[in-house]
Amino acid sequence: MHEMGIASEVIEAVRVEIARHPGARPSKVGLRVGEWAGVDVESLRFCLEVLVKDTDLDPLALDIEFRPQGSELDIAYLELEE
Amino acid sequence: MERVAIEKKVLSENDRIAQQLRARFAERGTLVLNCISSPGSGKTSLLERTLEGFPPETRVAVVTGDIQTDNDARRLARFGFPVRQITTAGACHLDARMVEKSLDGWDLSELDLLLIENVGNLVCPTSYDLGEESKIVILSVTEGDDKPLKYPGAFAKSRLMVLNKIDLLPYVPFDMEAARRNARSINPEIEIIETSCTAGHGLDAWRQWIGARIHEAARKEEPG
Ligand SMILES: Nc1nc2c(ncn2[C@@H]2O[C@H](COP(=O)(O)OP(=O)(O)OP(=O)(O)O)[C@@H](O)[C@H]2O)c(=O)[nH]1
Ligand SMILES: [Mg+2]
Repeated sequence: MHEMGIASEVIEAVRVEIARHPGARPSKVGLRVGEWAGVDVESLRFCLEVLVKDTDLDPLALDIEFRPQGSELDIAYLELEE
Repeated sequence: MERVAIEKKVLSENDRIAQQLRARFAERGTLVLNCISSPGSGKTSLLERTLEGFPPETRVAVVTGDIQTDNDARRLARFGFPVRQITTAGACHLDARMVEKSLDGWDLSELDLLLIENVGNLVCPTSYDLGEESKIVILSVTEGDDKPLKYPGAFAKSRLMVLNKIDLLPYVPFDMEAARRNARSINPEIEIIETSCTAGHGLDAWRQWIGARIHEAARKEEPG
């Protein structure tokens, strides 16, 4: 179960990004997860929900694009509301 | 609403350390193999048989990872080569930083071969580059011939699949041809060696495979 570590890294990257956009609040984060990345998507989703719940990031929607036959594990984008 | 591109690799810190390790290994001419399998497929057994066959002057060392206990390091240390245990205290995989730390005090230029036994797990270790030259996946016949399809990551990223415990084939319904076909459907280039660590089958082929990799690594190191 290493999805919690990965989820923490995603949250950290989200925080770095929002610090660059004062006054904006994040509404959605987009990830790309390859089939061979060694990551269970449902478990990652669960870990991210746990990390976000009842924090200033709550609610944060999650868009996970699953890539068949891929090895990638990327944070693709962040959606911000003014 | 505004969408900002981040385009950041997760685990990029691990990848950064792994690239440093890879450069260090290449510079010192150390071949590094990362052995991955489910718990109990025979990683330690295969390494025991490997060390047992090496002449004492062989410049080889082993790093072995487990969640708890140093049982595997004790098993492997009996052969007189340097062995270090990493206990991850819960983590289901080795990462590049753990490997980097475990190398502390070893002179890599004195080593031709570093064998890494990952934590028994067919999923998580595939996400973590350790700076190895190749990953090796070990699949034992008691696990079922469909495992390459169920856990494709380990097979997609490995250069070699070791099919272990073939001495048990008379007792378990395992279709060798299906296992090979399934592994190749994920990774057409994957090499396959069949072994029995208890009966000693296939160990020569395995040793030759390692020998060829060491040779390859040494050739790369030569200038020009
Ligand atoms: N019959 C048979 N048993 C084997 C073979 N290889 C290993 N075993 C047995 O399988 C069991 C597990 O082997 P290990 O070498 O400890 O497996 P491992 O992959 O290192 O296990 P972890 O480090 O706990 O993940 C032991 O009881 C071995 O004796 C084999 O080729 N044939
Ligand atoms: Mg072991």
